[in-house]
Amino acid sequence: MSARRRMRWPLAIKVPLLVAALMIGVAAAISKLVLLRIEATQAAHFTELGGAYLDGLSTALQPALIRRDPWEAFDALDRSRTRYSGVAALRVLVVLPDDTVLAASDPLPHPLGSPAPPASHPDGDPTQLDTAHGTVWIHRAMVEAGVAIGRIAAEIDVTALAAERRAALAALVGLNAALTILLAALGWLLVQRMLRPVLRLSDRLAQASEGRLDPIPEAELPPEDTDEGRAYRRYNAAAAAITEREALLKRLAEQERRALVGRYASAMAHEVNNPLGGLFNAVRMIERHGADPVHRARAAALLERGLTGIHNVVRASLMLWRGEVDDRPLAPGDIDDLRYLIESEARRRDLVLAWRQDLASTPAIPAQAVRQIALNLLLNACAASPPQGTLRFHAVTEAGALILTVADDGPGLPAAAEVLLTGAAAGRQLPTNGLGLWTVARLTAELGATITIAGPPGAAITVRIPDAAERRLADAA
Amino acid sequence: MMEGAHATPTWTTRRALMAASPALALASGWSGSARAARPITLGLTPVFLDSDIVLVRQIEAYLSRRLGRTVQVVKRRTYREISALLIAGQLDAAWICGFPFVQHREALSLVAAPLYRGASLYRSYVIVRRDRRAESLADLSGDIHAFSDPDSNSGFLVTSAALAARGETAAGFFARSFFTYGHRNVIRAVASGLAQSGSVDGYVWDVMAELEPALVRATRILRTSEPMGFPPIAASRQTEPSIIAATKAAFLGMDRSTIGQEILATLRLDGFAPVAPSQFDSIAALWRQVREAG
Repeated sequence: MSARRRMRWPLAIKVPLLVAALMIGVAAAISKLVLLRIEATQAAHFTELGGAYLDGLSTALQPALIRRDPWEAFDALDRSRTRYSGVAALRVLVVLPDDTVLAASDPLPHPLGSPAPPASHPDGDPTQLDTAHGTVWIHRAMVEAGVAIGRIAAEIDVTALAAERRAALAALVGLNAALTILLAALGWLLVQRMLRPVLRLSDRLAQASEGRLDPIPEAELPPEDTDEGRAYRRYNAAAAAITEREALLKRLAEQERRALVGRYASAMAHEVNNPLGGLFNAVRMIERHGADPVHRARAAALLERGLTGIHNVVRASLMLWRGEVDDRPLAPGDIDDLRYLIESEARRRDLVLAWRQDLASTPAIPAQAVRQIALNLLLNACAASPPQGTLRFHAVTEAGALILTVADDGPGLPAAAEVLLTGAAAGRQLPTNGLGLWTVARLTAELGATITIAGPPGAAITVRIPDAAERRLADAA
Repeated sequence: MMEGAHATPTWTTRRALMAASPALALASGWSGSARAARPITLGLTPVFLDSDIVLVRQIEAYLSRRLGRTVQVVKRRTYREISALLIAGQLDAAWICGFPFVQHREALSLVAAPLYRGASLYRSYVIVRRDRRAESLADLSGDIHAFSDPDSNSGFLVTSAALAARGETAAGFFARSFFTYGHRNVIRAVASGLAQSGSVDGYVWDVMAELEPALVRATRILRTSEPMGFPPIAASRQTEPSIIAATKAAFLGMDRSTIGQEILATLRLDGFAPVAPSQFDSIAALWRQVREAG
């Protein structure tokens, strides 16, 4: 999970972090090199200085060692104390070949004749300058005419060298940290600046998912010869093209709707025409037997049924096709009206209509959009169903949401139609054979509805449309 | 130490005096022969100054003026070297210790002896580190001991005699001993811990306590000897009597000249006085005691 989250970090964070990581790596390498160089220089300098120091001491101590004269040896050491102030000698021992001390710069811990301390033995690597312990022993074997007459061992305080290394390290760390922070900040600023057009375009494109794709105002456009200017202009061109396409689609949808109107006007005429014969019979019955209360009542009932049927069809058609924006919330009557509209189409196609409406409440969902979704799905199902097939419709409310299910006995929904209904908005291709399902997809997207498709055999499309409260919650999330 | 502040003017004065010395020599009658042109030589061993070049130049300047001839101070590291040169007639006179004098009494004649605190007497000290828990010479058995010089009365003979009186020898009593060839060095050796005890000239220790209190404070006196004859100025028997006489007069009159007073002040001495060989009988007795003890 964490790896995926890191991948999602914005460039404005990633680039400065990369710069900082790179700087830390480079700084560590440079610091190591510098410290190694300082260490080598210090070691060389120390060897040189220690050698010169021992040269001076050995010259002064040679006669004393030959004579094994403790005072002369001590006197030479004592006098060297001020002469070699550049060498921080903590203690110097003049040791005889039998490893006893002839003289020491501090005789109290190393009295005449006492064994030389183990640390003073020349068993270390003389080329290594180990400052970890704060002191380093240097040695000089003393030989006269090929005979070993003793040795000089000096313990040198190297804390100053260690301090110099620490100071260099602190300076390097401080400088590199400052540079890293500075470069990371610069990287952040630079990336922010570089990403500004991208982020702005990203914001604009995010608005597109809400159905708006506003062009960037001309006054805010950077010069055309800049990357930003070119990107904004391309965006504006794309926005214009998409807006134009949307307008075209709307026009096509309107034409489709009008075509439907035409088709249903004829259906409605048929529906109106069917009871007309009965109505005329009733009129004639009233004319002939109007005095007979029985006949009159039968004729009146006939008239009422016929007129009621016509009334229902006309009312439903008017509601659906009057072309006005209808923000009224859904009512059970809206679902029932659909039945009137689809019955004639079902009858024309010799289909059995299984209609079920279980609305327990009236969810806060625009009635016009629901009617358009349901009608388009029903018409699509009618077209897909074989003759004598069953067209099933079920409307129910569940936890405030409206569930519409339209099922048919057809061969199942084509893959392109399935993608159109359930795919992402960006992947929706404009259909070539009618705009019914495209309209469903657009409206369900606007309403935040979800579509599930079952089958084959047959096709069952279930649309779950949340009510306004649920939509607000989803938007807030 | 002391050389700093007034060294330059003193030196200038001395140079002027030295430049003027041939004229003074002529005036005082020390002139004429080629032999008279030979510098008079005075032997000196280290006293208590680490670098006594200023003192040497002062002595040379004073004596040259008083003797009317160039006087050259000859320094050697050990008493024996100075004694040998003096006895051989390579030096006209020398400031030697009482012990070499009693050793070579027949070859030397006394010129004068310093007056220290009103008398030509001094003592020998046995010193230890200040924090050393020792009360007597017996407590120093097994020590590393620092002597000054094998021909020094205070720096060797007195302690050797004291050990001889106990039936001991230095080699047997001490675990180790060594010579530092300088009383100041004995104090340094004991103060630093190189030696656990040391035999030192009491006069030098007293003056050093004033000049280098930090160094001397690290030591304390464990044993003090009886007063003995202060190291004298002695002349070789081969030295011309006139030179001996003039040298004696110069030393005896030192407190009456400015440079002489400066020299005496540096040395913390009151002056110089005539001295008889009997002054050193007690040293001769110690020597005898040591020789008899074997």
